[in-house]
Amino acid sequence: MTAVTGDVPLQGSGLLGQPLDSREDPQLLRGEATYVADIDLPGTAHMAILGSPVAHAKILSIETKAAEQLPGVLKVATAAEFTGVMPLPCIWIPGGVESHFPPHPYGLPGARPVLTGDTVRHVGDPIAVVVAETPRQAAAALAAIAVEYEPLPVVTRADEALAEGAPQLHEAVPGNLNAYWTCGDKDRTDAAIAEAEVTVELDLVNQRTINSPIEPRGAVGDYNAATDEYTLYASTQGPHNHRFLLSALVLGIPFNKLRVIAPTVGGSFGTKGYLYPDMALVLLLSKALGRPVKWVDTRTGLMNSTVQGRDHRQHVVLAGTRDGRITGLRATSYANLGAYPSTIGPGVATALMGRSISGMYDIQASFCEVYAAFTNTVSLGAQRGSGRAEAAFLMERLVDRYASEIGMDPAAVRRKNLVPKEKFPYDNGLGWTYDSGDYQLNFDKAMELSGYADMPARKAEARSRGKRLGVGIATYVAICGVGPSTRMSKEGMLGGTWESANIRVHPTGEVTVTVGSASTGQSHHTVFAQVAADELEIDPALVQVYEGDTLKAPYGQGTYGSRSYSMAAPAIALTARKVKAKLVKAGAVFLGVPEEKVVYAGGKVYEDGNEENAKTFSEMAMAMWYGWGLPHEIEPAIDETTHFDPPDFNYPFGTHVAVVEVDELTGETEVVAYTAVDDAGNIGNPKIVLGQIEGSITHGLGQALMEAAVYDEQGLLVSSDLTTYALPRAADVPFFTLDKTTTPSPHNPLGAKGAGEIATVPPAAAVVNAVVDALSDLGVQHIDMPLTPEKVWRRLRGEAE
Amino acid sequence: MNGRPEQFSAQPNELLVERLRDGLGLTGTKVGCDTGQCGTCVVQLDGRSVKSCLLLTASAAGSRVTTIEGVTERGGELTGLQEALRQEHGTQCGFCTPGMVMALGELVENTADREAPTEPEIREWLTGNLCRCTGYHSVVRGVQRACSAARAELPEEIGEGAAVSASAGSAASASASASGKEV
Repeated sequence: MTAVTGDVPLQGSGLLGQPLDSREDPQLLRGEATYVADIDLPGTAHMAILGSPVAHAKILSIETKAAEQLPGVLKVATAAEFTGVMPLPCIWIPGGVESHFPPHPYGLPGARPVLTGDTVRHVGDPIAVVVAETPRQAAAALAAIAVEYEPLPVVTRADEALAEGAPQLHEAVPGNLNAYWTCGDKDRTDAAIAEAEVTVELDLVNQRTINSPIEPRGAVGDYNAATDEYTLYASTQGPHNHRFLLSALVLGIPFNKLRVIAPTVGGSFGTKGYLYPDMALVLLLSKALGRPVKWVDTRTGLMNSTVQGRDHRQHVVLAGTRDGRITGLRATSYANLGAYPSTIGPGVATALMGRSISGMYDIQASFCEVYAAFTNTVSLGAQRGSGRAEAAFLMERLVDRYASEIGMDPAAVRRKNLVPKEKFPYDNGLGWTYDSGDYQLNFDKAMELSGYADMPARKAEARSRGKRLGVGIATYVAICGVGPSTRMSKEGMLGGTWESANIRVHPTGEVTVTVGSASTGQSHHTVFAQVAADELEIDPALVQVYEGDTLKAPYGQGTYGSRSYSMAAPAIALTARKVKAKLVKAGAVFLGVPEEKVVYAGGKVYEDGNEENAKTFSEMAMAMWYGWGLPHEIEPAIDETTHFDPPDFNYPFGTHVAVVEVDELTGETEVVAYTAVDDAGNIGNPKIVLGQIEGSITHGLGQALMEAAVYDEQGLLVSSDLTTYALPRAADVPFFTLDKTTTPSPHNPLGAKGAGEIATVPPAAAVVNAVVDALSDLGVQHIDMPLTPEKVWRRLRGEAE
Repeated sequence: MNGRPEQFSAQPNELLVERLRDGLGLTGTKVGCDTGQCGTCVVQLDGRSVKSCLLLTASAAGSRVTTIEGVTERGGELTGLQEALRQEHGTQCGFCTPGMVMALGELVENTADREAPTEPEIREWLTGNLCRCTGYHSVVRGVQRACSAARAELPEEIGEGAAVSASAGSAASASASASGKEV
């Protein structure tokens, strides 16, 4: 392990920070990239999964004979077939508190079985599988499986699941309570609230949303009987992690008998890092049938099985002075974990949210408590900006409510409470220590760029057109760079969260970089080559990047929580420094001068003060490959590895301003301007990051305006396809006005902070603040998301929520 | 099919996208939803972009079908639209990209000799294609770039229109830089 602190200066050729074109783009634009559904191994059979049509019931009987006799059907299997298979484990439990889970034989918090045999707990809970010659035959055979259910009462809301007499989901989990988790100082916060000049309160619903990557998930299992080895191709953002979890903790096979390959992955936003039953099933059935087995999900299948996001019901209180100083913050949250603990869902719903609630503000007394509960809904997981978005939403809604209560400008209240620059590193009192930041600079830049001072005039102008213009500000701090393994262990994470990189220099001077990370659309091949080439000061065209295959790359956690550029990229940079150090040592031999007289710069080694006495990178590569003349203490060849475990997280932040126009007649909300100033530390490739920021904001606007996973009282997911679940389309968003500030993180050698999803964190709060601003003269203090035209129209007419 | 005749018999209920992907191995066309909403399966039928998951194979008999594989050679040079999308990084995970290229190809083709489409027109045209990664901004910029490039190549007699388009193009790039090239 390598510990790094910020005193290592940024080195390199200046390639970092350049907007290089994505080298992935040409094959994507030509439709040549291979996604899981495009993999066609010889002899492949096709699997379909029967999901429960009811949310909660005992299974009385399953009859599969009719299905078995249909054309092309090779196998029908139920839970009875897989009794030796362990349930899928949960590896992020809320740290430091008592947690209740369905059991797992390894003593780990267990989750769902690969197939459910006795009780179904949500619509889509997998009951049986069919393998057939074609996908159509497999799907058709599902309809011939007869299942008899005895219905049980259903609960879909976290707060209701905890009420006395609520339906019980798991024997091992009394009262459906997974955990009661807290952070911060309760006594101090209660005192601050009791003594405050002003307090404001809000009841908030952070609605459940569905990430909806455009590529549904898929998996191909390929068992090799000759070698007793398994290969899994899956749409995963963490192939190494899936290898560990599946081999040791589910299938019970040796770790080194399973290879996991992530081909091109069509978006994830958090959902494809989870362990799902299908991943185990295709492997087990490939072994049983002696053929590769392939499964590709449908959109409706995805919506009923892939982890969902957000879903908190909250009561929040803010205390402050009459002149705008925030003195206390308290949040009580009911988090809906769904029917089973997903791979890391319980950690997302507690620590990731709770420790983030105070955002960019310097608050002396804050406290958060979370009741995490099981209900008859799809399991909860991460979703772009997960935890941090829920935290920013509650804080930023409260600040606006407070500003309105004391009659102060919301911008002025925020400015007054920002953590001052001199206070970093800053302990937020909730468990995070912010690494670096200049919040005032960032905030002022956003106010100026958005034309905040001109808003009164713009409101009057809009009014003359029958539109109500509203402006909403939201700031945020997003914990990223997961993470320091020891720190994560205290949060309850079961597993190392470091990242690794290997650099191999070939005799011809080309360089291969392999990393444990795995892209889901972030142009890793481009950016990681840029990092290595920058550090080695060579042409990036010489560098080839490999990832997403457990056989090729060293171990690593993968891509989530915006961690690749602040975890994998530093691992690459540090490895490149090892390469350079070795070249300097060997260069002394080849140049015939003492080591301290050898310089590595510009992609070559040379004698200090005598640049004629030099060897280029490729000459050194060849010389090291021959190994002739090297003293015994210098190994031939160049092959270096780094396992990067940072000293602490990093904390990007930013300020967003939404301007909306609400149509008085229709209640329709149009986002007419959106300004964002984000700070992600030093940025490697601004072209790539720009795309991620734009996509992230659009995703956040989706939650504010249109997205909602809607369950009816029977637990049926009503919004289970793209006709009933609305995603933002091109005409729903304007171009954004974007800028940045740059405060490098001291916790990695690149000064990088997370970037990919951070801009998803504040938009929901900014837009709701803007719409409430537009309706404030009607006495509207809050509207729950999504802000559909009907909901806003009713409020325009004075109806209560 | 992509300029070559293909002869086969299809089941009455077979969807065109199934024939393309499973029958002909043309996997550039993607399936992202079950309901004709996402646009990842868009191909061109006699020059018009259509969703191949909403079309029976049999109904395409006798038509010219172009898929993403018919737009460029494998590993070959990109078209003007693809090149413009590359320069604006109008992709991320790339799953929606082939469908977008097929849908936008029709727009760019059909407006090359007319006024370049406005930003709202491009966004309206794109509403049949979902993208979760980019938020569409880089795609819209890519189309603006492609349209101004296509019009710059037009012969003299429609030069006036080209001048309009060039200024629309520079307005587009001004808006692009305002929207954060620096980030």
